[in-house]
Amino acid sequence: MIRLNKVSKTYRTDKVETLAVKEVDLHVKKGEFVAMMGPSGCGKSTLLNLIGLLDRPGEGSIDVDGIPITRYRDKQVARLRNSSFGFIFQSFHLIPDLRVIDNVELPLLYRAMPATERRRLAREALEKVGLGARIDHFPNQLSGGQQQRVAIARAIVGKPQVLLADEPTGNLDSKMGAEVMDLLLKLNSEGTTVVMVTHDEHEARRTSRIVRVFDGQLVA
Amino acid sequence: MLRNYLLTAWKVFMRRKLFTAINLLCIVLTLVVLMVVTSLLETAFRPSGVEGRSDRFLQIVMMRMDSPDGSRVSTTPLGYKMVEKYLKPMPGVERVAAATLPTGAAVYQGDRVSEVQMRRVDADYWKILDFTVLAGRLPNAADDAAGRMIAILNASTARRLFPGAPSLALGQHIDINGQNFEVAGVVEDAMHVNAFADIWAPISTFGSSDYRNQLTGMFTAMVLAERGADLPRIQRQVAQIASTVVQDDPKQWKTTRFWADTKLDLFARLTMGNNETIDSGAGKLLALIAVAMLVFMLLPALNLVNLNTGRIMERRVEIGVRKAFGATSSQLALQLVVENVLLCLAGGLLALAATAGMLAWLEHIQLINYMRYDLNLAVFGWGMLIATVFGLLSGVLPAWKMSRLDPVHALKGAI
Repeated sequence: MIRLNKVSKTYRTDKVETLAVKEVDLHVKKGEFVAMMGPSGCGKSTLLNLIGLLDRPGEGSIDVDGIPITRYRDKQVARLRNSSFGFIFQSFHLIPDLRVIDNVELPLLYRAMPATERRRLAREALEKVGLGARIDHFPNQLSGGQQQRVAIARAIVGKPQVLLADEPTGNLDSKMGAEVMDLLLKLNSEGTTVVMVTHDEHEARRTSRIVRVFDGQLVA
Repeated sequence: MLRNYLLTAWKVFMRRKLFTAINLLCIVLTLVVLMVVTSLLETAFRPSGVEGRSDRFLQIVMMRMDSPDGSRVSTTPLGYKMVEKYLKPMPGVERVAAATLPTGAAVYQGDRVSEVQMRRVDADYWKILDFTVLAGRLPNAADDAAGRMIAILNASTARRLFPGAPSLALGQHIDINGQNFEVAGVVEDAMHVNAFADIWAPISTFGSSDYRNQLTGMFTAMVLAERGADLPRIQRQVAQIASTVVQDDPKQWKTTRFWADTKLDLFARLTMGNNETIDSGAGKLLALIAVAMLVFMLLPALNLVNLNTGRIMERRVEIGVRKAFGATSSQLALQLVVENVLLCLAGGLLALAATAGMLAWLEHIQLINYMRYDLNLAVFGWGMLIATVFGLLSGVLPAWKMSRLDPVHALKGAI
């Protein structure tokens, strides 16, 4: 479904050049739950950003459903991100000024869709993560676990094929982390492909495949 | 989507109330100045009130005379003879009026002396301008011909000289500079170039008839066209007439030039000091005013650009999230511009209210005598247009810059 072919990514500043990802070949198949592990700064998040088309590779190419997207323009990439990917961040990144329901609706704003339909889908997504009763709350009125569930609802509201989670349980205690992990496993069992960056070996073992990254390269 | 934009905008504004207040204050102050100026320009140059027919009349205020060798120039108002001999017979116009420039005069009532501004005008003057008569009547050609010693007062002067209702002034006698006049009418106060005065009397009430023989003097002429479209033709005609004038002493003054100007032309000619050609310089003046207004808007706009960049930078994570979920740069730029334009429109509405208050205050303190300021629909429209331009000027650059943020960096809260 998503294939990285000899992908490299270098970050440059005036003085320093950092090779974050080096000639990575990776194939994420439809329906997989892939855990990416590795020490801090090894390039896991960069890899996740490349898979999610948030970043462009310096070298190599990325295919989505067999189509190379290297030559896609920014607008086409944005459209593809909107239709095919959902993102979950370690710090949730909810918009504090918007109610829960408005946060969840956000990805649908960038689709041609009537407001009533957007609202219906957002409610449906919130019910799926067990927060149907909290739609009018603001993020700061929720616990960390609830905020992350809102973020998951936001990620799945557009029914994406792939969920990309960057340390989704990193800011949660073990109980809340387990709840979030259960939710991701449930979504995966329903057919959504999940790629997750984690430091937690226990969580990684619950996924279908572990990919280990070291110094910007995949290791066996 | 618009609802979401509005909701986010509202929340963002309320999140940093002081910041929003400073933004609004900056917008309001700028717009109040611009809208007061716009209102003044509207009042001064659009046909309205007593000069409601100004879209089809021209005025000749000054003439320029050059010595034969071109070494000496004299600029002076017209004499009555110039109006009567050269302008009144002009074909293809509805009428030509003569009026003196307002001059100071003293009104004596027993021991009391009141300073007033007085004009002597002919009957045509009253037919070109639309004075509202509050009591009595306006002078006519018969009064001119008979040299009747009658005077017209404006409402303020009538109240000052004869406290009470305007009708109480009628039939009263006043001594102006040693001449006795009977008050024949009272008109509403008016402040326009040609209408301004406290007291009017027929030209034929001058103590001496010398004025009839003078080519230079203290007169202006007003030419009423049958249609507004005739004005350019009349302007050319007047310029041509001026070239035929033979001064009393042709050896001293060989060439004469004067121009029939619209109100805007007259203002431009006086401001730009252009009295050599038919072109008053109005185009240049308007361009200068437009540039001045733009510069005046640009400076606070630059300040707002900085403030907006700071405000938007605080939201870079939000921008990153929106990008991650599929927002394009143009959609984000539009959102940020919409927010800024909304803020400026809110500022525009506040500025409108403040402008109305400011104009009412200016009218109250009579900064300019008898001036009436209108905050009409045109001024409202201009105000909203100015607010929108201001919003675009100060919003587009930061919005464009921030919308192009790389989502990965934006999500990290970096630039």
